[in-house]
Amino acid sequence: MGNYLTVTAAQDAAAGTDNEGAQIPHKTIISGAEALMKSLLAENVDTIFGYPGGAIMPTYDALYDYQDRINHILVRHEQGASHAAEGYARASGRTGVCLVTSGPGATNLVTGIADAIIDCTPMVCIVGQVKSTLLGTDAFQETDVMGVTMPICKWNYQITHPDEVPEIIAKAFFIAGSGKPGPVVIDFTRDAQVAMMTAPFAYKKCEKMLSYRPRLVPKKEQVEKAAELINNAKRPYILFGHGVLISQAQEELKAFVEKTGIPCASTLLGLSAMDVNHPLYVGWLGMHGNYGTNILTDHADVIIAIGMRFDDRVTGDSTKYITQAKIVHIEIDPSEVEKIKKTEAPVIGDAKESLLALMPLVNANNHSVWRNEFRKYESEEHQKVTLRDLDGIGELKMAEVITRLSDKTNGEGCIVADVGQHQMVAARYYRFKNPHSYIASGGLGTMGFALPAAFGAKVGAPHRDVYAVIGDGCFQMTLQELGTIAQNKTPVKIIILNNNFLGMVRQWQQLFFEKRYSFVELQNPNFVMIAKGFGIDGHTCKTREELEESLDKLIDFDGPYLLEVMVEKETNIFPMVPSGASVSEIRLD
Amino acid sequence: MTNYTICVFTENTIGLLNKITIIFTRRRINIESLTVCETERKGVSRFTIVIKHEKRDEVEKIVRQIRRIVEVLAVFGYLDDEIVYNETALFKISTPMDAKPLDVEFINRHHKAWVTYWGLDYVVIEKAGSEKEIYDFFNYIKPQGILEFVRSGRIAVGRTPQGLVAYLPDADWEFNL
Repeated sequence: MGNYLTVTAAQDAAAGTDNEGAQIPHKTIISGAEALMKSLLAENVDTIFGYPGGAIMPTYDALYDYQDRINHILVRHEQGASHAAEGYARASGRTGVCLVTSGPGATNLVTGIADAIIDCTPMVCIVGQVKSTLLGTDAFQETDVMGVTMPICKWNYQITHPDEVPEIIAKAFFIAGSGKPGPVVIDFTRDAQVAMMTAPFAYKKCEKMLSYRPRLVPKKEQVEKAAELINNAKRPYILFGHGVLISQAQEELKAFVEKTGIPCASTLLGLSAMDVNHPLYVGWLGMHGNYGTNILTDHADVIIAIGMRFDDRVTGDSTKYITQAKIVHIEIDPSEVEKIKKTEAPVIGDAKESLLALMPLVNANNHSVWRNEFRKYESEEHQKVTLRDLDGIGELKMAEVITRLSDKTNGEGCIVADVGQHQMVAARYYRFKNPHSYIASGGLGTMGFALPAAFGAKVGAPHRDVYAVIGDGCFQMTLQELGTIAQNKTPVKIIILNNNFLGMVRQWQQLFFEKRYSFVELQNPNFVMIAKGFGIDGHTCKTREELEESLDKLIDFDGPYLLEVMVEKETNIFPMVPSGASVSEIRLD
Repeated sequence: MTNYTICVFTENTIGLLNKITIIFTRRRINIESLTVCETERKGVSRFTIVIKHEKRDEVEKIVRQIRRIVEVLAVFGYLDDEIVYNETALFKISTPMDAKPLDVEFINRHHKAWVTYWGLDYVVIEKAGSEKEIYDFFNYIKPQGILEFVRSGRIAVGRTPQGLVAYLPDADWEFNL
């Protein structure tokens, strides 16, 4: 092949003659790095979250000429880039893009990649790599990124020649965004970035692959069998998850439950796919979900699982979970079916397409008696948990903050929660009205997710009001991203619920480890002063009396704002299914 | 423990072996043998993986997990009685002296093994067959003094009238044959 670095002007000109449509005819032969830029534009990428460094510098040099078309956001740490890309993707439904350097740049992305695969978030990570001639030599900042990311990404590929760029980027976006979405890692060697392509750049979107063909429309016989089970059910129960939001099936789900009269409950990541005020919405599932929604899974005769995967935080002890009911499982990924529960009627397909196919086959129904059973548990939970959480006595409680925020924002905010007690409180007390309003790290439980993800969410959905609900522990894991928020003047509203504890771990230590508080108390910095140091305004709310005014100030502030709320130090989150117990053993106190 | 033979058809790309084997490592399953070759179709590789497992449904889950890997075209899991399978072994022994003559005719007729190299210092015998047949031969030849012994992984074809490649997605395949 010779040295493809040396492309003469004559070759350029020759290549230009047979490419009449090219915008810049004198430059039809471009470098791998520029091919990447053109490929990203062809995929309608408008935003990149990134951090430059040695091995990715040729790409950053190419990016310099594309700043007017691609908004590159300089984060403060690559983990921040990955979570910001996740937040962007979850809020906008589009694929998030990260651009980082080799070695530590890539390894810093790993947490976000692992988070994205388990929460099915579409993301394309472009990672610089040492020159291909140096691969395997322990060169400066060389890490085996292919090897490191293999178990935690949907697909990865190492580009070692510039000609590969358009095809591989097309594949990357197709794989990341289709089927069950997930992260794709592209390891881009430095020489492939620098070298010139051997042919004029041409881009063709990838629409199918031989070995990867996710089924969208389910098989007719599967739909018919599912419909029969649903029509014959006396106590049917819908459990829906993130899949509904991913396939934008919220309207179809609503129409389906309204026709069939079947009560439905959400997983943590499915939250906000249904308006929480809808009469057929009975609450959410899982370890800290609602009381009746968990218990009544044991009373249903047919479970219709839609775009959810029976995570252990939902099932508790899965051997005791749904032992009596037949399961209809609507799922796009065949490997999820029967992974945890025996399934009577699998429906392999996209949630939206499957619901559309089921709709004409299911009978209109009411199920009012069965639905009333949920009400009974609701009132018990309200008495024992909600009233206690909102009693307004003693120290300010997290639940009050979220409830007031929900009221003041009319349930229309986009809540980006971190991981821990505040995450569960946000899920429980915010009254979600619109879809894509609850973004949190569900599967991986990544502390530090919320601040960068909230930033990314606001970038991806600028018309929405984004509220990051963060604990004092989580905040200190990625607080450097305040710098990113400040530099971009992104009006993210940050609420730190400060209880001076790693609250969820402390709760477990109290309940299951005889209150032996092992390394859960924090000596916290002055968060407001930190924010101000970054140029972000904020204040601390210490008492219940200040809460109203504090929240108003946060909501109305023009620009990013940090509100620290001092909350009760030792609150416990209930209801709670103890780890490893069955859902029927759910506790209210 | 039951033997399961998993046949995987894939595109021929770097790193795919790793993507497949981590499915087993993550679940703490030992791979008994693994053989990879290109099939009669260009660019399509065939993995034959043998594992031992107690639960059939777990193996079915693994099959589905492997299928999920992008670049994997098709996966089939089999019990021993659903396939015709074989292995090959090579035995290197010292060239027999007068004291220990080698009964080549018996080796050929009874053990279906063949001498593939006969030199001054050593002889190489090739034996194809099941694991049991290979070890029967191993015990027979052992007194000759085995200098080196190597066994290949299992290869297998399904006991069905059509070939497994018939299940591959429709495409304009180029053929090696």
